[in-house]
Amino acid sequence: MKRLLPFTLAASLALFAGCKPADSTSGSSEASGGKKLTIALMPKSKGNAYFISCKQGADEAAKEVGAELLFDGPTEPDPAKQNEIIDNWIALGVDVIAAACENKEGISTALKKARQKGIKVVTYDSDANADARDFFVNQATPQGIGRTLMDEAARLTGEEGEFAIITASLTASNMNEWRKHIEVRLAEKYPQMKLVDTKPCDDLKDKAQAEATNLLSAYPNLKLIMAICSPAVPGAAEAVKQAGKVGTVKVMGLGLPSENRKYVKEDVTQSVILWKTTDLGYLTIKAAADLANGKLKAGAAKFSAGRLGDLEIAGDNILLGKPFIFNKENIDQFDF
Amino acid sequence: MTRYFRELSVAIALGVLLLVLAVFAPKFFEWQPMLSRLTREAPTLVCACGMALVIISRQIDISIGSQFAVCSVCAGLLAAAKVPFVLVLVASIGIGAAQGAINGALVAGLRLPSIVVTLATMVILREGLRWQRQGQFVNLPDGLQWFGLSQAAGQYTLITAAVLLLVLMAQGMKHLAAGRFVYAVGSDAEAARLAGIRPQLTTFLIFVSMGALTGLAALMNIVQSPQVDPKSGSGLELKAIAAAVVGGVAVSGGRGNLWGVFAGLLMLACVNPALTYLHVEAYWEKAIQGAIILLAVVADGVRSRKLSH
Amino acid sequence: MSASKSAAWKGVLFRHETILLLVLLVEWFYFNSVGRRFGTMDNTFDIIRHSVEIGLLALVMTPIILTGGIDLSVGSLLGLCAILFGKMWRDGGMPPLLAAACTLLVGAVAGGLNAALITGLRLPPLIVTLGTYSLFRGLAEAITRGADTFTNFPTSFLFLGQERLLGLPTQAWIFLAVGIGMWLLVHRTTFGRAFRAIGFAPEGARYAGIPVERRLALVYVLAGVIAALAAIIYTARLGQAKADAGMGYELFAITAVVLGGTSIFGGVGSVHGTLLGVAAIAVLGNGLVHARQPREVAGMLTGALLLLALSGGVLPKLLATWRARRLSTSQAKPQTSPP
Repeated sequence: MKRLLPFTLAASLALFAGCKPADSTSGSSEASGGKKLTIALMPKSKGNAYFISCKQGADEAAKEVGAELLFDGPTEPDPAKQNEIIDNWIALGVDVIAAACENKEGISTALKKARQKGIKVVTYDSDANADARDFFVNQATPQGIGRTLMDEAARLTGEEGEFAIITASLTASNMNEWRKHIEVRLAEKYPQMKLVDTKPCDDLKDKAQAEATNLLSAYPNLKLIMAICSPAVPGAAEAVKQAGKVGTVKVMGLGLPSENRKYVKEDVTQSVILWKTTDLGYLTIKAAADLANGKLKAGAAKFSAGRLGDLEIAGDNILLGKPFIFNKENIDQFDF
Repeated sequence: MTRYFRELSVAIALGVLLLVLAVFAPKFFEWQPMLSRLTREAPTLVCACGMALVIISRQIDISIGSQFAVCSVCAGLLAAAKVPFVLVLVASIGIGAAQGAINGALVAGLRLPSIVVTLATMVILREGLRWQRQGQFVNLPDGLQWFGLSQAAGQYTLITAAVLLLVLMAQGMKHLAAGRFVYAVGSDAEAARLAGIRPQLTTFLIFVSMGALTGLAALMNIVQSPQVDPKSGSGLELKAIAAAVVGGVAVSGGRGNLWGVFAGLLMLACVNPALTYLHVEAYWEKAIQGAIILLAVVADGVRSRKLSH
Repeated sequence: MSASKSAAWKGVLFRHETILLLVLLVEWFYFNSVGRRFGTMDNTFDIIRHSVEIGLLALVMTPIILTGGIDLSVGSLLGLCAILFGKMWRDGGMPPLLAAACTLLVGAVAGGLNAALITGLRLPPLIVTLGTYSLFRGLAEAITRGADTFTNFPTSFLFLGQERLLGLPTQAWIFLAVGIGMWLLVHRTTFGRAFRAIGFAPEGARYAGIPVERRLALVYVLAGVIAALAAIIYTARLGQAKADAGMGYELFAITAVVLGGTSIFGGVGSVHGTLLGVAAIAVLGNGLVHARQPREVAGMLTGALLLLALSGGVLPKLLATWRARRLSTSQAKPQTSPP
């Protein structure tokens, strides 16, 4: 160990020497100058087709406003990772952070720190605490999503009968939020319907299919399966198809048109609900850029979002519009 | 009797579980969902057989979940490019074997610990695949599902193939020299070397077969639906290891047989559906799975202590 | 004299820790040249803050792996302890300090369960902790029904995870203390020698009069306690506790330990090696953001680094054995001609 000492000393000296010069150049002057904007966009997790299609829209908007777009997020389902990446971005000195929040409380600590350092913060997809961001690009509130899902389920089943939910994991915050609102809506409006079971599928299509197979036979009176994470919609549809219950058990959920087109056309899946994810990404980056340029200020009532036209701002929420319901008639018009 | 104690006790536990289900949830035995469930487990069985070989030879492979995903996506892309089915099959098995060969070369050639090597390859393959594919599904052409047969025919084909493979491997482990090599290397590599077996070559080939079996399993999985999920196979390594261990394969190597693994897999595969049929809330799922693994090893531990006293 | 001196230098140069230190330095200077703000104090403290929990788990994993064991349950236990801490504070009305003490106790009990199964029944640690890996996470999910999240902790508690004390992030002091304690335990006490002896040959250690069961129990209980400590720090850093805390941390910890030169078979390894391993992974993950590379690249490079570190350590030995074998076969040729 003693022999290692000179190495260790030299190394630590070098590290601290390395610290100084970089520290002195750091300043917050570049945001105001004519330099290229850097916008950091965070999905809840990587390798998720939903956020990839958000990124398509974001890329388009970044090109329009001439900003550099960083896209990164956690690869594992680890809520602490989002904080770490936000901290990295603060250190990196980006101009705007746009985040979809997996853990509301946890990420808010990091986002507040970013705002203290003069970085603008926008949230999209799912919100942080209100004091941790400037604007929330609101594609749909948890309440809106819960209601739309439950109303559509009621429409498909004629407002009566048993149904089951397949979710990604029992700990996913936003899905738990949606489930809460689904149950609220169920209790107040549809007394003839009954939620018999809720199963997690670990965000895997195969596991969703296995769970759906079990549900179909364990609950023979099942009328509908509601899949609230995107891989579960085709998974549940395949199970219904294999069980020969097409039509008698309806399938619906939140998912991407591209992953469900086949089942929707075969009438296995009746409706897929989603907002236009590319628009969500586009709008987020547009708002982020205008926020950094000072064109978008707190208290504004309208926001002109390029190809999306003028959008309404309610408080500090920029509204994208209502969730969209894809079915047999319209699904061919969309390719994300 | 005592020789197959572990295998028998797993079979008995499985019997008890089925009995409970027969009394409280007879719907569990409906034929269609049962057939679907068995078909879904067919690829897992193939992997568990391979894992049994690996563990018997006193190694471990935690990269098979990632290998499975890579094979699935590659096979899916080839099939989508209208490559004939036989070539897709060969490619899937070949890619699996190549990945297994990398593990095998590092473990047998450089004598590195298999748990660390496969931990590294697991991460590299998984992250690499996500980097390349970004989680996008692969849509398969129409004729591929169930090999273009009817659903029932496809399901029977897959189950038969998996069981046939199991029987062949179980017989091979017992009666072929190669099978005995696996046990010999796992019990005592040095003694095996002195007996004229080449332990490093054996180990290498075991990893290659693990990969090839994973490739086969991946193909058996993608023919079950019209899309490939690039995340498929995550957690597969834990399932296969748990099936092997619950089925009586000793992690210290040299002991275990494939029928026990079969029983272990069936039992673990029943637990999850059983919870649904018995209306147990999903929140308890993981805790119960953990408790079952612990019970299995504790039962074994108590018994071996009694024997040694 | 000079020959032995140069041999000693060679020994230091080719030691695993030295090579790892060089890797760390290369990483540091590369990222410092690529990313303008990589080398700032703020960023350095970020790296420390974000790696304390995994660092703690890696520290305590070191003696376990030294004994030839493994503990896959530490990440799940972190999750269980985090929500129990939250529950005791919010629903039990305990002040954070008392809740923390109780959490450490829970950690010790959970570690004790592993220890009892491993030493009492002589079961393989891999399988026992695979079972408790599921069990602990499952209990955390069952207790909170997955959804219950504990937040709004008092700022005095959050100080532990988000503020600085005497110029360093608060939790860095705890990490330092545990690190020094662990280093002394492994390198300066008879316990450490016992761990190595058990890792080399458990039966031999028993015959040498080492209380193998007690020493093994100690490391697993210790792992439980440190996992609980990591859970408290994690909760303070994030300001929330939920059942998914610490998922996959056991693999990061094992990676760091093995990268640090500890043999997974036991017997060989060091605590300072582990610290370097943790640092190498943390700096890589952070630096790649500054180099504007996606997250996946960090994972892939960590895997590659692990393989390189392992084979780097083995290759010289392997070459030596090959050379020796070739020599012995060429000498022994007349006798071993085929019959």
